[in-house]
Amino acid sequence: MLHINKLTKKYGSFTAVSHLSLHIPEGDLFGFVGPNGAGKTTTIRMVCGLLRATSGTVKIGNVKGAVGSREMKRMIGYVPDFFGVYDNLKVREYMDMYGSMYGMYARDIARLTEDLLELVNLSDKKEVYVDTLSRGMKQRLCVARALLHNPKLLLLDEPSSGLDPRARVEMKELLKNLHSMGKTILISSHILSELSEMCTSIGIMNHGQLITSGRIEEIMAQLSGGNRIHIQIASGMETAVRILQEHAGIVLESVRENEVIVTNSSTDEEISALIGALIQNEVILTGFYREEGNLESLFMQLTGGDEK
Amino acid sequence: MRIQLNPIVKKDLQVTARSMRFSWGLFAYEAVVAVAFLLGLNSIQSNIDSYYGDGNVYQDLMNLFPTLAIAQVCIMALIVPIMTASSISGEKERQTFDLMMTTCMSPLSIVFGKVFSAVLHVLFYMMGSLPVMALSFVAGGLSWSVLFYFVLAVILLSVFAGSIGILCSSLCKRSISAVILSFGMYFVLNLLTISPLLIRAFWGWNENGLGEALLPLLLNPIVFFEEFFMQVMTGESLFGTSEEYRLVEGDVGYLTYCFTYGKVWVFLSAGCILLLAFLFMLIAAWRIDPLSAAAERKPLKGSQN
Repeated sequence: MLHINKLTKKYGSFTAVSHLSLHIPEGDLFGFVGPNGAGKTTTIRMVCGLLRATSGTVKIGNVKGAVGSREMKRMIGYVPDFFGVYDNLKVREYMDMYGSMYGMYARDIARLTEDLLELVNLSDKKEVYVDTLSRGMKQRLCVARALLHNPKLLLLDEPSSGLDPRARVEMKELLKNLHSMGKTILISSHILSELSEMCTSIGIMNHGQLITSGRIEEIMAQLSGGNRIHIQIASGMETAVRILQEHAGIVLESVRENEVIVTNSSTDEEISALIGALIQNEVILTGFYREEGNLESLFMQLTGGDEK
Repeated sequence: MRIQLNPIVKKDLQVTARSMRFSWGLFAYEAVVAVAFLLGLNSIQSNIDSYYGDGNVYQDLMNLFPTLAIAQVCIMALIVPIMTASSISGEKERQTFDLMMTTCMSPLSIVFGKVFSAVLHVLFYMMGSLPVMALSFVAGGLSWSVLFYFVLAVILLSVFAGSIGILCSSLCKRSISAVILSFGMYFVLNLLTISPLLIRAFWGWNENGLGEALLPLLLNPIVFFEEFFMQVMTGESLFGTSEEYRLVEGDVGYLTYCFTYGKVWVFLSAGCILLLAFLFMLIAAWRIDPLSAAAERKPLKGSQN
């Protein structure tokens, strides 16, 4: 759906985004992660035509137009991290205005406004002035506005920033809903736990460069923590340690009173054989689990712990 | 073919009509026009009462219309740049500009929308002042077409003032800077168009005449309005009407001699002013286009805080 090829943005001698290449397949929920100043917002702004790229290309679907063309704009729904609203304008009129700006017919706008406000749970606020809505409601309204012209790609730049926990949960549920409807979504966020829960793929940026990108489980597997196994033992600790030391592909990391932590580079079959060997040698196991990798640790590992 | 009202105009009308600022503005505008009318009436009464008065009350009553018209144009010249100068920078301050630019509206249609909504705003005010204006028609002698032509002239001048305002708004980051700059630009433009005439008048008139020094005045909105009003009200011209009083070709040059004939100046000046306004709007659209080279440039020095 979204093909970014060697996208670069320079401000004088400073390079905000450097030769960024990225492909997001249709229907993907892609999380864009990176510390402040990594170039996430710059990239999103270049994709939606709010910033001129120094070099590189952006292609969305089969659209032939360039960035900023009407065809491209029709394909994109953009939700910025912070946006203003107009005083004295009602929710319905707000949607009507943006629908008209996309050249939509009044009857289509009215129909879609009903549906979208229902989707974002703002049906009862249709005749309310936009500036009186809470921050969370405004953010959901902005998502509804971005969906009004039925874009194929939704770009959300830190949509949860500044939201209270409840509003964050609502936003997350909304995005999951949209993903299940088949929308391709690119979301940048600092709230990494949220991204790991809902994204299918992620890309990690630092200093204007894309460090890694891919399916979330594949990236998690790169984590050192993902290969660590905790073995809890009720009795037979000495035997267990001996077996583990003798087992190829297992490196003992720490031995505690009832737990051994090992780093593993064995296959699943070898692991099951190891468990069998432990049981056969009368080692009583009370627990055997892989340590879950998380996005925070991956992020810190890849960005060198610059900033979260 | 589908006709659609510019969404910016529609939104601005909705937002403006609901604001108290608009109601108070309309009230203030009507008050100024009414005061101008009352002062005019008072002057007529003084003329009647005066021992030295010429007693031509009819002519005095007819003069009420230009008095009110000039008062309205002066107010318009003040409010239109303020409205348009804060339009683009106001969107940026409100952080609504980016969302607008991601829609299918072109930068030029956004600029047109902003100027057009300012013109409509002025027309609202003018409509509100019609009852006061109509009082000057009571005495007769003025045709309703005069009022129609006056509205046309105000629209033209509003578009021009609006285009200056929107240009400044696209140049500055802050609304207040844009408003100040637009008044400065308005002043400089008037000065620039009249300066060739002043230079020629003070140095070199006796030797070579005025030459084509009058031509830049085609872009001067004040001269346009004055010439327009003289033509409409009296059929006379700033530059003389009859052959006897016309400018001499040898003194002012061939082009000026031709352009000052009859109503040619009014139409030509209107065209030039509209063209200049269009040019300003094109520059403004280029400035606000995020993908243009202009977007790479920083706002004017001192305009961002």
